[in-house]
Amino acid sequence: MKKNIYELKYRYHTGTAAWILHRLSGLALVLYLAMHIWVIHNLDNPAGFNKVMAFLNMPLFKILELGLWGVIIYHAINGLRIILVDFFGGSKAQKQVFWGVVVVGIIMFIAGAIPFVGHLVK
Amino acid sequence: MNIKFVTGDSGMKRWFYQRLTGIFLAVLLVAHFTIMHFIGTGEIDYRTVAQRLSSPYWKTFDLAFLVFALYHGMAGLWVVIDDYVHKDGWRIFIYSVVVLAGVLLLIIGGLTIITFAPHVLLTFPGNM
Repeated sequence: MKKNIYELKYRYHTGTAAWILHRLSGLALVLYLAMHIWVIHNLDNPAGFNKVMAFLNMPLFKILELGLWGVIIYHAINGLRIILVDFFGGSKAQKQVFWGVVVVGIIMFIAGAIPFVGHLVK
Repeated sequence: MNIKFVTGDSGMKRWFYQRLTGIFLAVLLVAHFTIMHFIGTGEIDYRTVAQRLSSPYWKTFDLAFLVFALYHGMAGLWVVIDDYVHKDGWRIFIYSVVVLAGVLLLIIGGLTIITFAPHVLLTFPGNM
């Protein structure tokens, strides 16, 4: 049988999980970007825009927005980790870099979640 | 044929631009999210957006943001497709869809930002 030379074999390490999550979060963000551009294009019609925004101000979407913030933080922080590893010799200290960005990511998420929850319970 | 189509270039430039736009986006996106969602009431309506978008500086910011985000997103999609889709026919089809979607979103988003007219702000009746 002819072997498929394109067959991808992944060995599972923390880095692999980070990489797969980077792809999945990236795909989610592309999808969100497309929807975002579509919604904002209602700006040419103020009444229509307010109608759409009133709908999107429902608590459900607010909670999804916090999820979006989480996805953004993950993708941005993991992306910066990749840059550190690629350009700044981070590969020598990649475990420390990994845990460093995990801590920064959690802090950023909480910092964003506080005003979010504040708006929700208000 | 297949391999040539994929690896005609080393991907070095794409790799570098992905990182460069990534850094820009990380900064712009955190600023964007902070301004839109963390500062203020959390309720976004026409007036809050129009006030900002009537400034040419914000138009430039949003336009740069749009171009970087679309480039970064579409280049990312490109790499993912490159890894999982190997039949030439499918590749050409899916790549075409990605390019078309990218161009279409750039036109829609670009027009929204560039043609946004602040005078609408003054004539909109519910705006006090």
